[in-house]
Amino acid sequence: MDIITSLAIVGFAALIHASFQLSVSVLTLLSGHAIGSKKSHARLVRLTTSYTTGAGVMTLLLLSFVSLAFIHWFGTEVPLLVWALVCGLVFGIGIAVWLFYYRRNAKGTELWIPRAFAKFLTERSKKTQQGAEAFSLGLTSVISELIFIIPTVAIAALVLIGLPPEWQLVGIAIYTAVSLLGLLIVWSLIGSGRSLARIQKWRTDNKRFLQFSSGGALIVLGFFVYVSKIMATVLGVQ
Amino acid sequence: MNMGGPITHVVKNSHHRHPEPFDREKLHKSIVAACLSSGAPAGHAESMARRVVGEVEAWVESRPEVTSNDIRRVASQGLRTYHPDASFLYEHHRSTL
Repeated sequence: MDIITSLAIVGFAALIHASFQLSVSVLTLLSGHAIGSKKSHARLVRLTTSYTTGAGVMTLLLLSFVSLAFIHWFGTEVPLLVWALVCGLVFGIGIAVWLFYYRRNAKGTELWIPRAFAKFLTERSKKTQQGAEAFSLGLTSVISELIFIIPTVAIAALVLIGLPPEWQLVGIAIYTAVSLLGLLIVWSLIGSGRSLARIQKWRTDNKRFLQFSSGGALIVLGFFVYVSKIMATVLGVQ
Repeated sequence: MNMGGPITHVVKNSHHRHPEPFDREKLHKSIVAACLSSGAPAGHAESMARRVVGEVEAWVESRPEVTSNDIRRVASQGLRTYHPDASFLYEHHRSTL
């Protein structure tokens, strides 16, 4: 796989990561509580910035950790079986996202995560007063989303470890920056004073589209990697 | 409200917590928060919240027991007249995550 194709796969995986909604939901709740409790705009921006930074740091650490684990286990030449397993995981989670991402009969943007977990994140976002707390909430929100983002992180890590070291750093930076796009858009909308109700209404109105596109994009990613890596190697095209 | 009259109890959704007396201040604060989050100015948010709380109090008055979901539904209906965006946020707040 050449460098451009590898970085394109990393960028696409990060774009799928960005389409997942748990971090955005927590950011919406955090902002809602901050505005509702009449915190100043500067304080609101500080909290949302800390939260987004926390999510970015955890994404960076997670991708670096998974890449390091893969290098430790397989070296830079990953067996085809591992590629096949990860492609299967990507397909599986893609179909699961189509079927289960949002809770059935939910009026809003309730996600298919344990209710106790959702309640904990809701309570934490309500109690968050300091930048450091918002930062740690950002870290936690990425971990909470792990079940959905693990396939994109795994694919990106597999692709990254095959790149020369300097390009690995570029790849990690691309993944982290692109995966934060959803959060950055909502962060800038909140920072510029847009109504939270409008943001939440848009998310509710378009939730089925987001669900379909996230699941569909995962399946496309899995298929593309399967063809360009496994099929190409087996057929001797590479 | 309910000064000297019968107290309306609010049954909590979780069913793990005991019913509690209807608290107009708590309702007022939550409506103000929804209005502010929807971009309403502070003074406007306060006045809308006062009117909606009045409507909810009138509805609650004749009922010995209501659920917190009922209050949310009635309040968001009342709020819809004054600020549809705030009403949307108020109604869907619990289903964000």
